[in-house]
Amino acid sequence: MTQPLIRVESVSKFYPRVHKPWERMRAFAALVAGREPQGGAEVLHDVSLEVRAGESFGIIGENGAGKSTLLKILTGVISPSRGSVWVNARVAALLELGAGFQPEFSGIDNVRMKAALLGMTAKQLDQRLDEILAFADIGEYVYEPVKHYSSGMVVRLGFAVVAASDPELLITDEVLAVGDESFQKKCIKWIESFLQRGNTLLMVSHSMYMVQKLCHRALWLQNGRTQQLGDVFDVTQSYLAWHETRNAQEKRGRDEQGGGAGIYRIDSFAVAGFANGEDVQLRNGQDLQVDLVLHSPDGRPPVGLIGIVRADGTPIYGVASDFDRIRPEQLDQNRFRYRIRFTALALLPGSYSVRGHAMDPEGLRLSDTAEWRMRVVGESRELGLVRLPHDWL
Amino acid sequence: MGPVYNSIFWQLVSRSIRTEYLENLTGFAWLILQPLLLLAVYAFVFTSIFQARIPAAEHIGFVPYLAVAFWPWTAFSEAILKGSNTIVANASLIGKVAFATELLPLSMVTATFMMHVAGYLAVLLVLQFTGTDIHWLGVLVATPLLFLLCVLAGAFTLFFSALQVFVRDVAQILPPMMTFWFFTTPIVYSTSVLPGKMAEWLQWNPITWFVGRFRELILFGSYQPSLPDLLAPLGSLVLFWLGLKFFRRFSGHFEDFL
Repeated sequence: MTQPLIRVESVSKFYPRVHKPWERMRAFAALVAGREPQGGAEVLHDVSLEVRAGESFGIIGENGAGKSTLLKILTGVISPSRGSVWVNARVAALLELGAGFQPEFSGIDNVRMKAALLGMTAKQLDQRLDEILAFADIGEYVYEPVKHYSSGMVVRLGFAVVAASDPELLITDEVLAVGDESFQKKCIKWIESFLQRGNTLLMVSHSMYMVQKLCHRALWLQNGRTQQLGDVFDVTQSYLAWHETRNAQEKRGRDEQGGGAGIYRIDSFAVAGFANGEDVQLRNGQDLQVDLVLHSPDGRPPVGLIGIVRADGTPIYGVASDFDRIRPEQLDQNRFRYRIRFTALALLPGSYSVRGHAMDPEGLRLSDTAEWRMRVVGESRELGLVRLPHDWL
Repeated sequence: MGPVYNSIFWQLVSRSIRTEYLENLTGFAWLILQPLLLLAVYAFVFTSIFQARIPAAEHIGFVPYLAVAFWPWTAFSEAILKGSNTIVANASLIGKVAFATELLPLSMVTATFMMHVAGYLAVLLVLQFTGTDIHWLGVLVATPLLFLLCVLAGAFTLFFSALQVFVRDVAQILPPMMTFWFFTTPIVYSTSVLPGKMAEWLQWNPITWFVGRFRELILFGSYQPSLPDLLAPLGSLVLFWLGLKFFRRFSGHFEDFL
């Protein structure tokens, strides 16, 4: 059982340029000569992965990152331009709404076709037909042409056939997002029991929640390349962090403000346990200790403000020394030191920044800012930014 | 050729029959009526305008002579024309589901032959009741030949359906090509009316052999084996194998070109 169920070895995929007739002819001539057609966009570049039986695997990334192309290669719909793919399992793919459904035919006819495409013989289908209809639960509509169906009904029927085909490996795209709440729950429940039986799932999703809930490992694709491959929590957290940073950069680009070299400025800003310039990485529940030294040209103690923001700049918590009537430790004529500890940090896994600010002694004007990037890691499935103290009653 | 391959194949066959031939109530009627009308046109043109005569079959008459060859040809020609379009027409299915795509053209060929063989039997019955002496034992012997003709149509269809993905012009070239083939096959005439050289060349047309055999078996009830009887089946099978090889050589790239 140590044999991987899926092995993808340095797979690249070009789509040849085939829009104009002469481009088609040239690409075809290359194929006839036994070469790969040249030119065209590279959609995947040197992607490798292995998935073992019983594991579940998520693929994440932005739109156009090559996720769907990778799935198509795994299901065998397209062949890779370079590299190789092995899939050793009875595969069922749930890629698009009713893929292989013909709108003119009735639901039951389409079920027969789809079942055949999924590898069921006519006899097996007859045995499982009742089960399929019960799962889909669309009543008399099965005898109507599929063109009269709502998209939810198409998904119900499609999923029902896939479920009945008893796959060892389920490859699925974003399709489960369609369909009503109760059917989604039914699908998730089915997938969970499917995984419990030792089967394998490979899914593409934009919902990190779903990926974390269902998958053990994940691949983050970026512009057709592997950005990160590994434990699902690591990969999804870096993906989210990257997203948040990018959003913040965009935001900062918009409201770039002056400031920085006011009269009360930051002399040093340190996070205990981390060297300067390093990113802070903490597990949730650890302590965060910050050390802020401010420079005051006139010798009056400035106000120190320390806060935590999400990577996109959303403030989470900030506290100033004058709120708490804290007197700083005076290091010399012009330097004042503020130290603060956030005990058992309640932040949930994600990407944040710790900011220190220098303010004038009246606490009115902000004159300098320094920032540490901080990543909180952990395997929490809680939602949001912070863990609120709670008791289940 | 596992059971899965089989069940997909028959699903596709039944789907093709329903969409191509039985879409409406009159679908099946037209399946017989259309070739019957065409047959009437040819009969009129060749017997009344050209005064064509078939020296070898004076006692049989032109219409039965034509009809016996015309139906297998129609099945053959229509199978190739319809089947060659299947890959391009099913682009959306091919882009979403992985399966043996050769089943698309092959199922269309099979569906077309099944429908036209049914029409053929109906026409033979009509001929029998209108006074033509149909040799039913010959019809029985002709059945494997029809199957072989279907295999040959499959060979060409595999080739053209794959080619059409890359060279879309195939769809435009194929119909006139089939018309040319029709007139270079002794269907509306007999080889005996041709000049010697031409008659010799036509022997290289594989359909000449099929058409001749159908007439001998069904109209004359005679069967004299000759060398082509061995070559034609062998040739059909070899061509089918080559067609399948060609198809599979390129089928992995269909999605890139569709």
